[in-house]
Amino acid sequence: MEQATPDPERLWQPAPLEPLSHPDAGLESMVGEETKGARDEGPGDGTMTENNFSLKKIEISVSEAEKRTGRNAMNMQETYTAYLIETRSVEHNDGQSVLTDSLWRRYSEFELLRNYLLVYYPHIVVPPLPEKRAEFVWHKLSADNMDPDFVERRRIGLENFLLRVASHPILCRDKIFYLFLTQEGNWKETVNETGFQLKADSRLKALNATFRVKNPDKRFIELKHYSDELQSVISHLLRVRARVADRLYGVYKVHGNYGRVFSEWSAIEKEMGDGLQSAGHHMDVYASSIDDILEDEEHYADQLKEYLFYAEALRAVCRKHELMQYDLEMAAQDLASKKQQCEELATGTVRTFSLKGMTTKLFGQETPEQREARIKMLEEQIKEGEQQLKSKNLEGREFVRNAWADIERFKEQKNHDLKEALISYAVMQISMCKKTRLGVQMLRSCM
Amino acid sequence: MSGGPPKALPSTGPQSLRDMPHPLAGSSSEEAVGGDSTPSPDLLTARSFGDKDLILPNGGTPAGTASPASSSSLLNRLQLDDDMDGETRDLFVTVDDPKKHVCTMETYITYRITTKSTRVEFDLPEYSVRRRYQDFDWLRNKLEESQPTHLIPPLPEKFVVKGVVDRFSEEFVETRRKALDKFLKRITDHPVLSFNEHFNVFLTAKDLNAHKKQGMALLTRVGESVKHVAGGYKLRNRPLEFAAIGEYLDTFALKLGTIDRIAQRIIKEEIEYLVELREYGPVYSTWSALEGELAEPLEGVSACIGNCSTALEELTDDMTEDFLPVLREYILYSDSMKSVLKKRDQVQAEYETKLEAVALKKEERPKVPADVEKCQDRMECFNADLKADMERWQNNKRQDFRQLLMGMADKNIQYYEKCLMAWESIIPLLQEKQEAK
Repeated sequence: MEQATPDPERLWQPAPLEPLSHPDAGLESMVGEETKGARDEGPGDGTMTENNFSLKKIEISVSEAEKRTGRNAMNMQETYTAYLIETRSVEHNDGQSVLTDSLWRRYSEFELLRNYLLVYYPHIVVPPLPEKRAEFVWHKLSADNMDPDFVERRRIGLENFLLRVASHPILCRDKIFYLFLTQEGNWKETVNETGFQLKADSRLKALNATFRVKNPDKRFIELKHYSDELQSVISHLLRVRARVADRLYGVYKVHGNYGRVFSEWSAIEKEMGDGLQSAGHHMDVYASSIDDILEDEEHYADQLKEYLFYAEALRAVCRKHELMQYDLEMAAQDLASKKQQCEELATGTVRTFSLKGMTTKLFGQETPEQREARIKMLEEQIKEGEQQLKSKNLEGREFVRNAWADIERFKEQKNHDLKEALISYAVMQISMCKKTRLGVQMLRSCM
Repeated sequence: MSGGPPKALPSTGPQSLRDMPHPLAGSSSEEAVGGDSTPSPDLLTARSFGDKDLILPNGGTPAGTASPASSSSLLNRLQLDDDMDGETRDLFVTVDDPKKHVCTMETYITYRITTKSTRVEFDLPEYSVRRRYQDFDWLRNKLEESQPTHLIPPLPEKFVVKGVVDRFSEEFVETRRKALDKFLKRITDHPVLSFNEHFNVFLTAKDLNAHKKQGMALLTRVGESVKHVAGGYKLRNRPLEFAAIGEYLDTFALKLGTIDRIAQRIIKEEIEYLVELREYGPVYSTWSALEGELAEPLEGVSACIGNCSTALEELTDDMTEDFLPVLREYILYSDSMKSVLKKRDQVQAEYETKLEAVALKKEERPKVPADVEKCQDRMECFNADLKADMERWQNNKRQDFRQLLMGMADKNIQYYEKCLMAWESIIPLLQEKQEAK
C-alpha cells in the first residue's frame, strides 16, 4: 500500500539551502520575470506557506517551446514539441537571479511526473496538466496540437503546473520533482525505477466501478459529489463559451463588410463623403478588433479549464479514501469470518458453511491432529489480520487527516484563483466596451 | 371612419402639437443622448413645433449654437428659404394614434391625421381625420398624376408577405406610422406639393371615399400637358446634370441595397449570438449553487451577462425599427425619382423631335409653331421643377442620413454604456473579502 506520508528517500534538500526553521516550509517559488504571458497571479503568492526565514528562492519558468523530430519507440519518425525549463535561484536580499538549471522536456515527461505524484501522494490534490488535445474549441481556433497558439498556451499551462507543484508545501520536496527540474538525461529511468507503476492502484482508474462502502467519511462523499458537479458545470460553461465566441466572431466580421460599401458610397457624395469614409474606416477597425478580444478570452477559458481538471484530481482523492475504506472493511470482514471459523473448530459447532465442513461430512471427520493444525493456522492468520487491521485503520485515519488538510488548502486556493479569474474577465469586458465605445464616439464626431 | 368597435392599439395617446418634436429631429432629441455628447446644432432638434421663436425669419439657427459659417447652418437657411419664402411655417401635419378596425370583410388599421394651419386654403385652423394605408396610396397616385414634374416622396411598402410579417404587431404598425408621418411631412415641406388640392382634401375631408369617387382633378397646366405626353420619342442629348443625377441615383440605390443586406445579416448574427448568451449567463447561476464563497460572485456574473443580453436585444430591435426602414425608404425614393427622370427625358425628346420636324419643313414660316413652343415650355418647367426638387432632396437626404448614422452611433454607445455599467458594478462584488468563518 502506498504511504500517506512522504518517504524520506523521496525528499530532497538541495545543498545551497540554509537550514529550514519551519518544518513544513518548502521552497518558495515565484513566477519568473522573463516569462511574458505567464499568469499574473502566480500560485506561489505566499498563500500556501508562511516563509519567514532566510532562504534562496527558486524561480521556475517554461520559457521556450521548440519543434523537434526524433524516433519513437517503434523507430518511426515523429514530430513533437519540446519545452525549455529554466530554474533560477534568487538571492533573497538583492533579488538577483542566477540560472542554475536548464533542460528540455516534452509533454509525455510531464505526464510521467504527474502520474508518479498521483501514486505517491494519493492524499494530495495533485495539480493538473494543461489539456493534451485542444478541446472546447470555437471554429476559428485551431484544434491542431502543432498550432503555434496552442503550443504557446500549453507552454504557459506547463509552467503553471510546475509552479503549482513547487509552491505546494509537500510536493515541492519530492526528489523526483527536483530531478525533473535538474537532471535531463536518465530521468525517465529514475522514475521508472521507483516502481511506481506497480504500486498504482488500478481500481482508481476504474471510474465506474462501485464499491459498497458501509462507513465512508461523509465529507468525502459530499466532496466527490461536489467534484462531479463542478466538472459537469465547468464543461458546460466552456462549451457554451466556445459557441458564444464563435457567434461574436461572426457579428464582428460581418460588420467588416460595411467598410468597402461605405467607402464606395462616399465616392459619389459631396458633403457626406468624409463622414461616410470615417464610418467605413471605423467598421474595418471594429471588425479586426475581435481577434485580440477572443485571444484574451482564451486565457480566461484556460483558467477555467485548470479547475475543470482540478476537479478530477479532487475526485481521485475521494476515490482513494473510498478504496481504503473498502479495503479496511473487507479486511475486518475477513478477520471476523476467520475468528468465527476458529471458534467453531474449537468448540466443534458448525455454524457457518465451509467447504471443509462439507467434505468432512461427506468423507468423514478429520483427525484431532488435523483440527489442531487448522486452529493453529487460523490463530496465526487472525493475529496477522488483527495487526493488519490495526495498521490499515491507522493508515486510513492518517489519510483522512492529511487529505482533508490538503483539501482545505485547495479550497482556499480555488476560491482565490477563481475570484481573480472572474475579476480579470470583468476587467477584460470593461476594457473592450470602453475601447469600442470610444471608437463609435470618434466616428460620431466625424459626422 | 367606418368600422366596428375599434380595437385600440397602445399608442402615444393624444398629444398637443406643441409637445411633439419635429419629425425630422428624430428620436435622439427626445431622450438624453449618452452622457458625453451634446446635440449638434446642425440637427433639426431646435425646430420643434412649439418653438416658433427659434426659427428666425432669415433661417438662422438658434443663438449660441453653430457658427453662421458652418455649412450645415447654411443648409438650414437654404431649406427654409426654399420652403417658406422667408415666412415662418404655417402648416403642421402629424400622423399618430393607430387603431385597429375589425369588420366583417376585413381588418385594417387607421391613423389619425392632425393638421394645423393658418393658410387660406384651409377653412378651419385645425383638422383631425382618420386615414388608412389605401388612402395614402390614393394620395400618392393623385400627386404623381397631378404633379408629374415633381419628386413625390415614397410610401412604405404596400404588400407584406402574410405569415412572415404580422401586419398588426406593434412594431410593424409603429414602423409604418413613422414612415407615413414622414411622407406627409415631406409633402408639407414642399412649396408646391403642399398646396396641392388633393393633399388638402386628404387632410380635411370627413369622407375621403366620396371624394375618391368624384374623381376631382383640377390639374395644373403643366401637369395636364405632361400627362398626355406620348412615349416613344428618342432622346438626343440628355443634359449633363440630369445624366449625372441618373448615374448618381443608380449607384446610390445599389449601395443602399448592399448596406441593407449587410444590416440584415448583422441582425441575424446578433440574434444567434443572443441565443448563446442567453444560455451562457444561467450556467454561472448553476455553478453558483454549488459554491460557498464563490456563490455571490458567480451569481453576479450571471446577472451581468443577463443585463448585457437585454441591452443587445434592445440594440438589435433599434436596428430593425430605425435603421432598415430608412434604407428601404430611400431605395424606393430613388426608384420613383428615376421614373420622373425618364418622364423628363420623354418631354425633352418630344420637344426635340417636334423641333426637328419643323426645321425640316422649309415651307413653314420662320415663326416657331405654337405646339412646339408649348413643348419647350413644358420641358423648361419640368427641368426647373426637377432641379429645385433635386436640391431639396439632396439636402433632406444629407440630413436624414446624418441623423440616421448618428442615431445608430448613439444607440451603439448606449449599448456599450449599459454593458459597462453592468460589469463595473460587479467588480466590487468580486473583490469583496468574505468574513472569516
